[in-house]
Amino acid sequence: MSYERGLALCLVLEIALFSIIGWNFFTPGNAGEIVRASAEIGLLALALTPVIVTGGIDLSVGSLLGLCAVVLGVAWRDAGWPLPAAAAAAIVAGVAGGGLNALLVARLGIPPLIVTLGTYSLFRGLAEGVTAGVKNYSDFPASFLFLGQGGVGAVPSQLLVLVAAAVGFWLMVHRMAAGRTLRAIGFSPDGARYAGVSVNRRLGAVYLLSGMCAGVAALLYVARLGQAKADAGTGFELMAITAVILGGTSIFGGRGSVGGTLLGLATLGVLQNGLRLADLPAELAGVVTAALLLAALGANRVFQGRDGT
Amino acid sequence: MRNAALLALLLGAVACRGTGEHGKTIAMMPKNKGNPYFASCRTGAEEAAKELKVRLLWDGPTETDPAKQNEVVEAWITRGVDAIAVSVENKEAISTVLRKARARGIKVLTWDADTEPDARDYFVNQATPRGIAETLAGHAARLLGGKGSFAVITASLTAANQNEWLRQLRLVLAERYPDIKLVDVRPSDDDRKRAFEETQTLLKVHPEVKVVMAIASPAVPGAAEAVKQSGRTDVRVTGLGLPNDARPYLKDGVLDSAVLWNTKDLGYLTVQAANALAMGTLKPGVSSLTAGRLGAVKVEGDQVILGTPFTFTKDNVDQFNF
Repeated sequence: MSYERGLALCLVLEIALFSIIGWNFFTPGNAGEIVRASAEIGLLALALTPVIVTGGIDLSVGSLLGLCAVVLGVAWRDAGWPLPAAAAAAIVAGVAGGGLNALLVARLGIPPLIVTLGTYSLFRGLAEGVTAGVKNYSDFPASFLFLGQGGVGAVPSQLLVLVAAAVGFWLMVHRMAAGRTLRAIGFSPDGARYAGVSVNRRLGAVYLLSGMCAGVAALLYVARLGQAKADAGTGFELMAITAVILGGTSIFGGRGSVGGTLLGLATLGVLQNGLRLADLPAELAGVVTAALLLAALGANRVFQGRDGT
Repeated sequence: MRNAALLALLLGAVACRGTGEHGKTIAMMPKNKGNPYFASCRTGAEEAAKELKVRLLWDGPTETDPAKQNEVVEAWITRGVDAIAVSVENKEAISTVLRKARARGIKVLTWDADTEPDARDYFVNQATPRGIAETLAGHAARLLGGKGSFAVITASLTAANQNEWLRQLRLVLAERYPDIKLVDVRPSDDDRKRAFEETQTLLKVHPEVKVVMAIASPAVPGAAEAVKQSGRTDVRVTGLGLPNDARPYLKDGVLDSAVLWNTKDLGYLTVQAANALAMGTLKPGVSSLTAGRLGAVKVEGDQVILGTPFTFTKDNVDQFNF
């Protein structure tokens, strides 16, 4: 717990710093912008938290976001479906993609790093194939764009989705028996199996959820940018994993928290936004993120002792 | 460690802030900060900023995430600037946020690559797509002797500029060079290595291709290197590229010609136009803009025109260094 407190302190310092050196940083409008810009990666990071807690990884989420965005565009414009149906199709595509990962990881027992490295290319490749890389679906109705660009006052509509997802994952990881079994799997899959945990089913579920969140994130992304194209969400998986790890979840599995992930996400989001408002080059974000991550991992070891599992 | 990093940041930012509290603030965005093409535009932009005593913010994506340009513009709107000038990666995506900037009273220009006309006040046009297509088609026709096949290495298959040039190129071919065939278009993703690999594949798949046309600046040296290593002396390269990248291959003879506009002038003109727009001297109905060392520049409707394309060859390339 002290790690999270340290990270929270770091976030407060960061906010204080940018309030001094940034232009119009400490304003409600800007807080809304930070949420808006972080919402999709936030959804992916929330879903990745239980995945990483089981000792797994899902590198395919960014590509799957791209594929779901394309599915949305195809269903809506090419097939002429009403938008709610197309949005549902995009989420179904996410579940299907997550289902494929789940099948390969949980049923066939292939290491998740390899499975999702494969589907990382597969999903992006499908998205590019369907659109030949050039098709760009735009001119979505204003009622849909509201999801990404609108809101009530300075409160962006994404905040609702993000909060709902955070509560859901928090309940799952920290309040339900399922969460304990995920940690048990992370510490030792065999041990969990002997303890009577249906490891395969649990693993399948977390990858399935991860795919579903990629689908929902695709909706937010398309609504925010007003376009659905095959390159949607490029590199998002690494940003999301960074947020999770920065949040104190162990890459070896067995340990992690949803609250930590949210703090990690906020730290990264504020950093990107703050650097720009302070007229500092955004490349610094990479350097500072790396420094934060290394400091966090170091601190994690100090706070929590060695984790060799 | 964290605190030290934050402190360093703070000091850096305060130091940045201390300089130049003067004139208008102009925010300018390239498609990709890492591309030397944009780096050379930046030198011109900074030259103009210095002359005009304006504060120039230069920021943009360092990777190919299409959402990044929007996030940078959002930040500039929040920060509050007088004018925003964007080289647009993706017009559908950026137009919403540019309209939002205009609604907040910020002057908006596009340069190098345009967005939807209602999302900006002016477009600083480096060269018309038609002019570029004519120049490129002319080089290809000359190299092929009026008859034969050529292929294109483009930026990405989604890049708006390149796709417009390709469209015009096909029109020019149909009108003037019916015996010349464009047999393949391959992406390079603005990456030299990718262009190298795609050109290698291209030469194998289409042995009849005698001219490779690389229409993104990092693709020119990539394509030229691939042709050089293939040992195919019957294949020549032409395209759109920066003189420094092109120089060794122009001297080798692998690269016949590199077409471009003066990138420094483009950056220079963009800042000049942005400042004029913010000051109110560039407004609807104006047909000419006085742009510092460039003199009077033509304004056509909502476009500020830089001029005609320029071809670098082995004879003139040494006069340029960017």
